[in-house]
Amino acid sequence: MFQHKDDTVLEALQRRGVTRRDFIKMSILLAGALGLDYKRVGAVTHALETAKRAPVIWLEFQDCAGCTESISRSQNPTLEKLVLNDITIEYHETLMAAAGYQAEEAKQAAMETYKGQYILVVEGSIPLANGGYCTIGGRAADDILREAAANAFAVVAVGNCASFGGIPRANPNPTDAYGVMELVTDKPVINIPGCPAIPEAMTNTIANILVLGSIPELDALNRPKLFYAQTVHDRCLRRGFYDAGLFADSFGDDGYQNGYCLYKLGCKGPTTYNTCASLKWNEGTSWPVEAGHPCLGCSEPNFWDGGGFYQGASAPLQKPDLVTVGGAALVGAVVAGGVAGLNSAAKKRAAKSEKAEQPSDKEA
Amino acid sequence: MTPESAMQFVRGPLFYFAVLFFIAGMTYRLIGVLALGWKKDLVQPRHSKLGGALVAYLKGVIIWPFIPRINETAGRNPVTYLAGGLFHLGLFLTIFLGAAHMLVWKSLLGFGWPTLPLPVIDALAAIAIISLIVLALNRVMSPVLRLLTRSSDYFNLLFVFLPMFTGFFLTHRLFAPYDSMFTLHVLTVDILLIWIPLSRISHFMFYFYTKARQGVKFAQRGARP
Repeated sequence: MFQHKDDTVLEALQRRGVTRRDFIKMSILLAGALGLDYKRVGAVTHALETAKRAPVIWLEFQDCAGCTESISRSQNPTLEKLVLNDITIEYHETLMAAAGYQAEEAKQAAMETYKGQYILVVEGSIPLANGGYCTIGGRAADDILREAAANAFAVVAVGNCASFGGIPRANPNPTDAYGVMELVTDKPVINIPGCPAIPEAMTNTIANILVLGSIPELDALNRPKLFYAQTVHDRCLRRGFYDAGLFADSFGDDGYQNGYCLYKLGCKGPTTYNTCASLKWNEGTSWPVEAGHPCLGCSEPNFWDGGGFYQGASAPLQKPDLVTVGGAALVGAVVAGGVAGLNSAAKKRAAKSEKAEQPSDKEA
Repeated sequence: MTPESAMQFVRGPLFYFAVLFFIAGMTYRLIGVLALGWKKDLVQPRHSKLGGALVAYLKGVIIWPFIPRINETAGRNPVTYLAGGLFHLGLFLTIFLGAAHMLVWKSLLGFGWPTLPLPVIDALAAIAIISLIVLALNRVMSPVLRLLTRSSDYFNLLFVFLPMFTGFFLTHRLFAPYDSMFTLHVLTVDILLIWIPLSRISHFMFYFYTKARQGVKFAQRGARP
């Protein structure tokens, strides 16, 4: 399996029968996909010619394999092929043919061989409660993660679960789920949140690390700025309707049929940073808001508990019910009544003492 | 505290507390005034008391403020009249007819209503902000007003200014990303909700009460002990 471990990416490609012409094409495409200037195609070519082919180890914990489904439908087949086949994913429970001890051995061998070089991709959240609700081969998820992260070059957390805990972390969070960046603090962790993550964002980030050997520019939540610098709202095709005050008030009404803004139906676009509106999904076919559904905010932390999906983005997350409001009013009324009672008693006392003094006035 | 957890906090527990504090505080204020002590009303009213209250509302709330000639404040202090009026108008239309604000009411009350387009709300918000700046300058510059002003009045101005500014910056994407400014906006609203019962901004509740009392007195038209 590792007989060509010192291969460069180019050598690995040549071994697969990729021609020089195809290789240059791939470099150009890759440079474009990485958001590089055309002048830097040469740099990409050079990197692919000289960089050691480094593998990806893909771990799955509390996940639904949706991000794996997503990356396998990347709209950029060359880039996908590059990441999945040519750069190689050495270990991926869903995609690999091996199973059981054989698979675990392959992972251990890859981790040993490519110590400090491999990219660790994590999909799914990591539970800490009860010694780990999620175990693979008898080992707890956080144990597996820490071992794999220890010798990784960088860790990429794909999907909202691996980035921020996602759905497993939603209230009441029975498994005490965590995102990778909360557990791995001594390695660069790159988050590609989304439910699922956008395939191009995943392949691009992995390719960026492998080809350029560097971590892409990240925002405050460790998300690559290339994909997460702008809100969904900023790039939304319905944005003009928002500015003009034209909204759909319910699913299927006139405004909805006219394609008006979905803000009043609970769209979280204004507070959600992601690139859905630009890249779209399924080879650029469409994306949720274009298809008529408000944005759920799936690339933001706590999106599952961040207010109802169909409640306005501005709506409060906690609101007192009628009984609590009544209770608060009662507290106010009781305190006011008490103060008024004391006041009234003081007035009566004053009136009494005034009356008591009056006769003495007359006598005098 | 991450930016995200800050937003969760101001929209969640802090908002919850602020609303309850506001309700308890305002009930305290109102009951406190109502329970100040009433003397038995021995005067036979000439006209209906309810009618008097309604007329007072009609004149004081709906008609007089909009007719400068008749409204005394307009002649004596045009700045207070004009800026004060525009401030309240802009503020309340923004609070109730802005799309984002309506959604807050909808989540609290369970029902919504049509809203105004963003550019209109934007203009109203700008008018309210400019009016409040004018009122603040007037308060600082007028020697009479300065004598009547205490530090709490400056706090009133500050705590009303902050949600208005952050809200305006929010819609225009100024100075900070949308979500950070959104957090600040909700935070300042929470602070305002807590501050209102402690301050004279609670006048909006007493205003209607006072007008009704005045109307009743006017309806009696009799000699009072």
